[in-house]
Amino acid sequence: MKKMKFFTNFDREEQWLNEMARQGYQLINKSVAYEFAPAKPEEANYRIDYRFFKTRQDFEDYKALFEDCGWTHVAGTKSSGAQYFKQTGDWGDDDIFSDVNSKAARYKRISDMWLSLACSFIPLFAVLISTGAIHITAFVKPKLLYYTPGLWEMSGSQFWRSFLFETPFAVMRGFSWAVIPIMILVYAAFAYKAKKEYMKSQQE
Amino acid sequence: MSRDRHLPLTETVYYILLALREPAHGYLIMQKVEEMSAGQVKMAAGTLYGAVENLLKQKWIQPVQSEDSRRKVYVITDQGLAILRQDFERMKHMIEVTTAIMGS
Repeated sequence: MKKMKFFTNFDREEQWLNEMARQGYQLINKSVAYEFAPAKPEEANYRIDYRFFKTRQDFEDYKALFEDCGWTHVAGTKSSGAQYFKQTGDWGDDDIFSDVNSKAARYKRISDMWLSLACSFIPLFAVLISTGAIHITAFVKPKLLYYTPGLWEMSGSQFWRSFLFETPFAVMRGFSWAVIPIMILVYAAFAYKAKKEYMKSQQE
Repeated sequence: MSRDRHLPLTETVYYILLALREPAHGYLIMQKVEEMSAGQVKMAAGTLYGAVENLLKQKWIQPVQSEDSRRKVYVITDQGLAILRQDFERMKHMIEVTTAIMGS
């Protein structure tokens, strides 16, 4: 079973995974969506770390350490960021972090990731502006975005039919560039949110 | 003499450096630290991984050849040893001065 969900707080995400396990769904993979397999309902203990790895060897070493400490790596890849662990047995620590700072540092890393993603779109946006791909006409004379011959001389239902038909195309013609700044803003918002979680969790 | 700005070391960093006077991989470091601190310092996996990463960045420890294909093995560097000694001297002085004032 696949499930789409988006979290900005690791604690809540962990609790949700524990709840899913209680209902008999075991996390087996996470890409864009969470992938669950039916299993015996259980009291599981899921924990999430957030890390990228330079080499496969670094990643293997990381997973080996967690296994040694009683954690099974259930989802996450070398460059996925989020790493999902499930407590293997009833031995070892209950958490993968033993101090406040290292637990909070996850948010610092995820915030940096969102921020660099946002920044990577800035040059693209600059190119769009400098090459004139963003035209001011869209704001001043939106009528020019409609290509249907004689559209503005039509009237009544004929006008509305043609007008509404072309509107999606006109919007795409005039405002498709807006996807880039919107993405920059959305990523920057996620970075800000993670930064706030970072500062909050450091004070706990 | 101006003091190294990294001093004082945190308890965990101090114990990790002390543990790495002999080569060890992650889990062994954790066990040694717990044993040396008489069970006072117990580090979880994610916390230790981050600490080791920081120490590598500061060049106080370095990776060495390992027989284990999965687990990396680390050892303290000369730089790490120097900082460990400085912190040891710092604490020794504190104990001396405290003993002189408050008695043993």
